[in-house]
Amino acid sequence: MTNSVEATHADASRPAVWAREVYKSFSGRTVLDGVSLKIMPGQVVSLIGPSGAGKSTMLRCLTMLDRYDGGTLSYGDLTVCSGDKGSCVYDRDAVKKARMHFGLVFQSYNLFPHYTVLRNVMDAPIRVQGRDKGEVESQARELLAQLGLSEHADKVPDQLSGGQQQRVAIARALCMNPEVMYFDEATSALDPKLTAEMHDLIRSMADRGMAVGIVTHEMGFARTVSDRVAFLFEGRIVEEGQAEEVINHPKDERTRGFLSMAED
Amino acid sequence: MFSMLMQSYVVTLQIFALTLLGSIPLGVLVALGRLSKFKPLAWLMGLYISVLRGTPLMLQMFAVFFLPYYAFGIQTGNNYKFTACLIAFIINYSAYFAEIYRSGIQSMPRGQYEAAQVLGYSRSQTFFHIILPQVIKRILPAMGNEIITLVKDTSLAFCIGVAEMFTTGRALVASQRTMVPFAIAALIYWVTCIIIEFALHRVEKRLDYYHD
Repeated sequence: MTNSVEATHADASRPAVWAREVYKSFSGRTVLDGVSLKIMPGQVVSLIGPSGAGKSTMLRCLTMLDRYDGGTLSYGDLTVCSGDKGSCVYDRDAVKKARMHFGLVFQSYNLFPHYTVLRNVMDAPIRVQGRDKGEVESQARELLAQLGLSEHADKVPDQLSGGQQQRVAIARALCMNPEVMYFDEATSALDPKLTAEMHDLIRSMADRGMAVGIVTHEMGFARTVSDRVAFLFEGRIVEEGQAEEVINHPKDERTRGFLSMAED
Repeated sequence: MFSMLMQSYVVTLQIFALTLLGSIPLGVLVALGRLSKFKPLAWLMGLYISVLRGTPLMLQMFAVFFLPYYAFGIQTGNNYKFTACLIAFIINYSAYFAEIYRSGIQSMPRGQYEAAQVLGYSRSQTFFHIILPQVIKRILPAMGNEIITLVKDTSLAFCIGVAEMFTTGRALVASQRTMVPFAIAALIYWVTCIIIEFALHRVEKRLDYYHD
């Protein structure tokens, strides 16, 4: 995956993504209540917490599928939005540019069913980034090879298993050469062997300097794959720190309560 | 008799083909208007669809045919018959097609739009490359139904005297005091539909390479 290494020019001392004091509410109900989250290049950060804590909303806002009501979001040097609660302003130009900074692997993959696997991976780099077809194809084929999908390049997504489809979604995101990769419930559909593979894959992305953000409620996976975890509870980060530390020795009562239940 | 029917069959085919040529793209515009975030436009297109689906095509044809004279005092020549018939067919079918497109567009999972958005596709790229090809596959059976209906609806053009196959058939039945022309016309309509069904089936097969 040498291409991706060269393409990730992130300055290691500057956060790849940084959300500061962000707020979000839906029809009067506060879902995110002053959350701050930072992911450095080469770092894997997991957002954990019970259902309804705001994890998904946070991810949707980080990926700009939804908009914060307040706070600041930046990708590298790009400030996507800023403003106080209720008066958050998005910079249209920055939003467009920032989309090229991250890739997202959806929980349900959302592959394009009418395109072959190869076309799924190649279409956006060519159409959106305006890159050379030959160059994109060689990167796409290399990615598919690394993900063990070479023989499936000419199939359509519906001919593949769930795990294979997820890897196509990963290849599709990686082919855009993002600085940040997000995973929504990376392992919820995977068996133990595939989960182990996913672990190695995510670690190798981080080793290459990519920032990785994961939303999950699988503690075992979060603990082993992450450098840091943030525990989200009712729209606030109640505990954050080194993965082992937070998951093995939680200080906050709510984290402890949630983790003791998650054990079973 | 047969040759007269076949001559007018050409007119039937013209109405059929030109109606599709006009109403299939017009329907796209109507559907997009109907789905527009600009409320007055969405409302207007809703009204357009409601009126055109809610009144008989025959009356619409009369309206288009007589409107220039009664509303503006314009004397229309004999050539206007065919034009009026086409206008009525095109706007009428655009309303039906618009509703089919709308149902197809709305049946697309939100994840397809979101995946395209995250990958940076523009709105028009998303529509033309991601959404539309999938919508076409989804609406094909419903479109096929309408297209088959249109073959037979062309006979309504008799009401303003366009010399298509049914009009000619009726004249032959009256002058020759036999029902045979109707029987032949029926057979020709049916064969036409069989050919179209076959073509539609081919297209469906071609799009069968994926499922979602």
